[in-house]
Amino acid sequence: MADDGLSLRRCGLHEDVVATVIGLAIVALALAVTWSARPADSPGSRETWPKGWPTPLSQTIDKPQTWSDSPLAAFRDKKANLLAVPIVLGGAWVVAVAVAGAALGGRSVGSMLPGSIALAVLAGMAYLLAAQKVIHFYNLEYPLWALMLGILIGNVVGMPVWLERSLAGEFLIKTGLVVFGAEVLFSRLLELGLPGLLTSWVVTPIVLVTTYWCGVHLLKIPSKSLCMVVSADMSVCGVSAAIATGAACRAKKEELSLAIGLSLFFTVIMMVAMPPLISWLGLDPIVGGAWIGGTIDATGAVVAAGESLGKEAGEVAATVKMIQNSMIGIIAFAVAVYWAGWVERAEGPREGGLLAEAWRRFPRFILGFVAASIACSWLFSSSPEGALWVDGTTTGFTSRLRGWLFCAGFVCMGLQTNFRELAPFLASGRPLALYVGGQLLNLALSLAMASLTFGWLFRKAVEP
Amino acid sequence: MTTCAPVRLALMAAAIGIVWGVALPAVQRMAVVKRHVAAMELREVNPAAMVYTELDRLPVRPKWVEDRVTLWPYFWP
Repeated sequence: MADDGLSLRRCGLHEDVVATVIGLAIVALALAVTWSARPADSPGSRETWPKGWPTPLSQTIDKPQTWSDSPLAAFRDKKANLLAVPIVLGGAWVVAVAVAGAALGGRSVGSMLPGSIALAVLAGMAYLLAAQKVIHFYNLEYPLWALMLGILIGNVVGMPVWLERSLAGEFLIKTGLVVFGAEVLFSRLLELGLPGLLTSWVVTPIVLVTTYWCGVHLLKIPSKSLCMVVSADMSVCGVSAAIATGAACRAKKEELSLAIGLSLFFTVIMMVAMPPLISWLGLDPIVGGAWIGGTIDATGAVVAAGESLGKEAGEVAATVKMIQNSMIGIIAFAVAVYWAGWVERAEGPREGGLLAEAWRRFPRFILGFVAASIACSWLFSSSPEGALWVDGTTTGFTSRLRGWLFCAGFVCMGLQTNFRELAPFLASGRPLALYVGGQLLNLALSLAMASLTFGWLFRKAVEP
Repeated sequence: MTTCAPVRLALMAAAIGIVWGVALPAVQRMAVVKRHVAAMELREVNPAAMVYTELDRLPVRPKWVEDRVTLWPYFWP
């Protein structure tokens, strides 16, 4: 995302370095704590530990649960246990990360603290709004409500000066991305063999590059970063891909907000429309599931749509989407290299050769993201125990912390978003046209590839 | 903050309260929405998951897929 005047780089370390250090330290700490509490009984059994080893850190963080009529129900889990403490501690983690960032970045911790607490409270409120059952089960994810709260406060109410001075949204998102690296496992890529690789890894880059090219050259959208973010969230996996590529190509806050809004809107439509369409077309559950997994942006919506076609389609859809999830690291890295080496180099003043300049402009926290991903991928594939170790750490702690950091980061982005700057994009309708055109291409190519691989080329002649 | 800011903040909070406290619970009572929510709860699906690690069940390759699809053809190294 575009650097603003509130970068942590004053007299301490650069913001990217701080985000990398803190993010990697959190992943290492989480792995160490999970290892120290590893189960003595059958530590390598997936049947015993379906979501990995339980980690004690899961007691220190949670988010509001789904509720219908009373928001108070959000503070109790399915077994009616009180969750107020871990939810409050979730906000405390945000404050701790912001304060640690300020300390390492050479900013005044005292001036950061009130704003960080306010940010954590607003993030908790965004989670609470997203947990209402209608919102939750129609996949209107928390980033939308975090952005909405921030935009409303920033543009309608007005932001107090003390809050404005202490915002560190970009830093929180960058740290969240480094932590997110632990969930992006290359080892997952081979789950569905060659058909899965072809469906995810051939179609997705083609759609991404084609959509980006069309946005820049055919629709002539002035902002290349907007084209990239819209193309990535549509072709890879929605909000998480938008965040990663938006950070890699330094997209403006308004552009990221717009891309996320488009993605969530169309995800709801596709989640509801695709299952009946697949039934009407009479597609095989494997082909239908692979088509859903390759096209619907958000993971949860993919599972919801797949499961409504049946268990088989749901399982294939979820696995294809998981393979796509693991592409985020490579895509973000490639976008960062392309942006630093070609786009920004072409637009800005040139100092030195291609490699030197690409390195100078490269967003360094992407390296932290890739490092966390490589380390956890290696650990995951090293042994069955390693896989359960990583799964337990990510499902029990790092994914929750990453969610809180992103949520607080989105509130911050909303606070700093000037609604007037969004208006020209909305009025032109070109980002909408880009998304719809790209998604139609994605639908056509994904269906063709899923039919070719799962339905014909690799299908066994004799079925049981 | 201007002097009107507290009033605007109160109005905003009231609007959010009305939508989330009254409108959305009413929408949830509509038959089509009720069916969708019930179906999702029955299948223990978390449609709001952003990444696979947030799902209630981690996706693993189903065994039956190998019976119906050749995952690694003979020509693959």
